[in-house]
Amino acid sequence: MKSSNRELLDRLAAEYVLGTLRSRARRRFERWLVSPQVRVMVNDWEQRLAGLEPSLQRVTPPARVWQGIEGRLELGRSGRTRAVRWMALAASVLLAVFGYFTLRDPPLVATLQASIAADPQTIYWQVELLGDNQELNVRVLATHPLAPGKAHELWILPAQGNPVSLGLLPASGTQHQVLTAGQRAALAGAKQLAVSLEPAGGSPTGLPTGPVIHVAPLSPA
Amino acid sequence: MSCAVLVSRCIRNVHGYVAFTMDRNDSLPPEIELAQLLQRCAAHDPAAFRLLYDRTSPILFARLLRMLRRRSVAEEALQEVYVRIWERAAQYEIHRGRALAWMVTIARYCAIDLMRRERVTLVGDDALAEVADESTAEPGAFEKPNHFDDCIGRLSQNTQQCLTLAFVEGHSHDEIARLTSNPLGSVKSWIRRGLISLKECLSGERQTA
Repeated sequence: MKSSNRELLDRLAAEYVLGTLRSRARRRFERWLVSPQVRVMVNDWEQRLAGLEPSLQRVTPPARVWQGIEGRLELGRSGRTRAVRWMALAASVLLAVFGYFTLRDPPLVATLQASIAADPQTIYWQVELLGDNQELNVRVLATHPLAPGKAHELWILPAQGNPVSLGLLPASGTQHQVLTAGQRAALAGAKQLAVSLEPAGGSPTGLPTGPVIHVAPLSPA
Repeated sequence: MSCAVLVSRCIRNVHGYVAFTMDRNDSLPPEIELAQLLQRCAAHDPAAFRLLYDRTSPILFARLLRMLRRRSVAEEALQEVYVRIWERAAQYEIHRGRALAWMVTIARYCAIDLMRRERVTLVGDDALAEVADESTAEPGAFEKPNHFDDCIGRLSQNTQQCLTLAFVEGHSHDEIARLTSNPLGSVKSWIRRGLISLKECLSGERQTA
């Protein structure tokens, strides 16, 4: 970069950060931000001018702002109404109760459990380990949004070593499975479960390949 | 609102800036926690995003109100800011720290974009009266470069005022010229030369520090 160009760009970067570069000139300059050199200039100016940041009294925004953000990003709710969610919850509880009485004979006792949740009000999956980690129960309490062609995979985070898969998480209802010796060994001493986003059908490698979107502690049931 | 009122308020703000820099306390969201929450947002963790919002939205909302003046516009901006934060969380570089500064920068740029569309900078004079609804003053949350106060103090009063009106209030060259009753050409050159002097002073001090 010629030094005259560099000077001009640095001046533009300064006024971009200060805010006095406006309108079309601002848009034009933003196209230069793909250049790492220009980004460094902007970043340097951001650090220099941060000294001008005022100290302000906090102002709590109204709840509708968060609702708007949640709606735009389809976080947790995926556009379903509260009534539908409650019906889904009631249905899954009924199913779970039904399953409990019809399928279990004699019932194993839950020893460990984990709630995979966005917050205490939004639990997506309730996970229970039964009979000293012999079996696994997963209940869907709220449907987790999921892009087409993707799946949620549940993992044990063992005390040592790599995560061990507990299989794919259901999108609705309940799921029951008998655990393998490998899974039981990984669960011994494990303190956490994790959920990762994987291609449909699950991780092709046997280890998480997508982002880990939830980590939940295992606690005594 | 008359220009005189605006100018006097802005001058108060310039003085207020000097006062708040002394006023640091410990009630800030710890930077490390914010940085970790941002990292979890990058992994699409909605719970972390909610926590981040709860911790930082009163700070960003106050900052947006300061620039946009009108509550309805600031609310719209705040939504846009958090959508951008969620979408760009992966671009945040944890080793740089400055998590809050990163978010405030997104808010400032978003406000500037909105101003262009809404032309709101000089209206809504009642907004400032209604904005501060909590007593906790936000301390100097932003890491200043070394010797910043010293370097800014070396600039002329006119230059300091122009830089503050632009950076803090989000005013354009034209608006600053009108607010301060100075010719547009002078405002532009004070700002241009002020920025150059500030950079030279900060880099010079860094070498000798």
